[in-house]
Amino acid sequence: MHIVDGALTLPVIAVGSAITVAGIGLGLRQMPPEKIPAAGVLSATFFCASLVHMSIGPSSVHLIVNGLCGIVLGWAAFPALFVALLLQAIFFGFGGLTVIGVNTANIAVPAVIVYYLCRRGVVRSSPQVAAIWGAVGGALAIALTTGCVALALSFSGDEFIPAAKLVFFAHIPVMAIEAVLTAAAVYLIRRVKPELLDAFSAASPDLQPVLAAAPEASLRSTQS
Amino acid sequence: MNTTVMTRTVAATLVALAISFGASTQALAHKVVAGAYASGDHIEGEIGFSDGSVAKNQPVDVLAEDGSKIGETKTGEDGTFTFKPTKPIVHIFHADMGGGHIANIRIEVADLPVDLAAAGAAGGGAAVGGGAAPAAAADATTAAASAATAVALSDAQKTLLLQAVSNEIKPLRKEIIALKEKDDLQSILGGIGYIAGLFGLWFYVSARRSQSKQTATMAQPSVSAQRTPKTA
Repeated sequence: MHIVDGALTLPVIAVGSAITVAGIGLGLRQMPPEKIPAAGVLSATFFCASLVHMSIGPSSVHLIVNGLCGIVLGWAAFPALFVALLLQAIFFGFGGLTVIGVNTANIAVPAVIVYYLCRRGVVRSSPQVAAIWGAVGGALAIALTTGCVALALSFSGDEFIPAAKLVFFAHIPVMAIEAVLTAAAVYLIRRVKPELLDAFSAASPDLQPVLAAAPEASLRSTQS
Repeated sequence: MNTTVMTRTVAATLVALAISFGASTQALAHKVVAGAYASGDHIEGEIGFSDGSVAKNQPVDVLAEDGSKIGETKTGEDGTFTFKPTKPIVHIFHADMGGGHIANIRIEVADLPVDLAAAGAAGGGAAVGGGAAPAAAADATTAAASAATAVALSDAQKTLLLQAVSNEIKPLRKEIIALKEKDDLQSILGGIGYIAGLFGLWFYVSARRSQSKQTATMAQPSVSAQRTPKTA
């Protein structure tokens, strides 16, 4: 899942880096201060989860948990995942510093997509249904990530279809595991600490107009 | 109802695992581990992945420093390849395993098999020695001397000696590579520490910013004008 230095052409690196810079900018701006510790925890989760390798048949893959990141953090998944990827590149040589933009985009773009697709279901429905939405989000994020990786590689010379197939099939077990994991996490959050999701929805951009209508809410939004 | 959902998810996981056993054909570990070293009169190398699997039957291009192709070779079933260098120049072994996995191994002139390395050093010494630099001349002499010692042994003895040394070193080499690839607990904890620190810093900065905004809005306009340079 981590593409290494020298595997990509310059335009791909430029586009990936541009997306990442834009994403980090948006994430930092939209982030209410009370969400920052959660971003740190999820960043650390990703950092560790990527070190858990599963040897399946001849291949070896690792967890990513970008679905959960996306559901909880939204655009802030960009800075959270970027920091973790940066440290992995420095400490363990996973990926590389020149391709870090592409790697971040490959993982964070699916997280943001999952945020927009599954969030409503996770926040609004009953905990059981929310868990199913979480499972969908967890699996979808991995599937989209494999697509992004294959896309990045295909623009750098590999054939898209075989590359995509290869990465996709190798990650089917990861999708299944992450579906279960994300479902469990979402279920737990909804049962134990639902405000983790609610607090964030209050600051999400689609609800800003509602908040601006109330005077004390508008004060809060200028603070954040 | 919830238990049936869980049972189904677990069943789906197992099915997916079963499918994936047959589906994936190539190692997708994210790190390529490769190394090469002189062994006798040729260069021996190994290409694999950080999870311990090897790159089987992988074509390897041998390039010069400027990127021109010198030759090519192929890894065997155990992921090792051999190449017999003929020129005392820098050799770069390049293998593209697809899926974003690329191995580049650089062999300096000094690391080439003894005869070639000596030739390279002597050649380099002679080239620089045109200006009669004492250091370069000394280099050339040492190299020539070592080459002479090497020649003093019979070829059969030399081969045996090199083989014995390379066999002795092999397990050490493997151990060092394995050691380099180990993700030790300290680095992991260090990484988590960095993350906590960075996000703490971010939290601090954003808290300060919101606090200074708050004081700016609450203070009198004249006071806030005085304070602006300090807080900005």
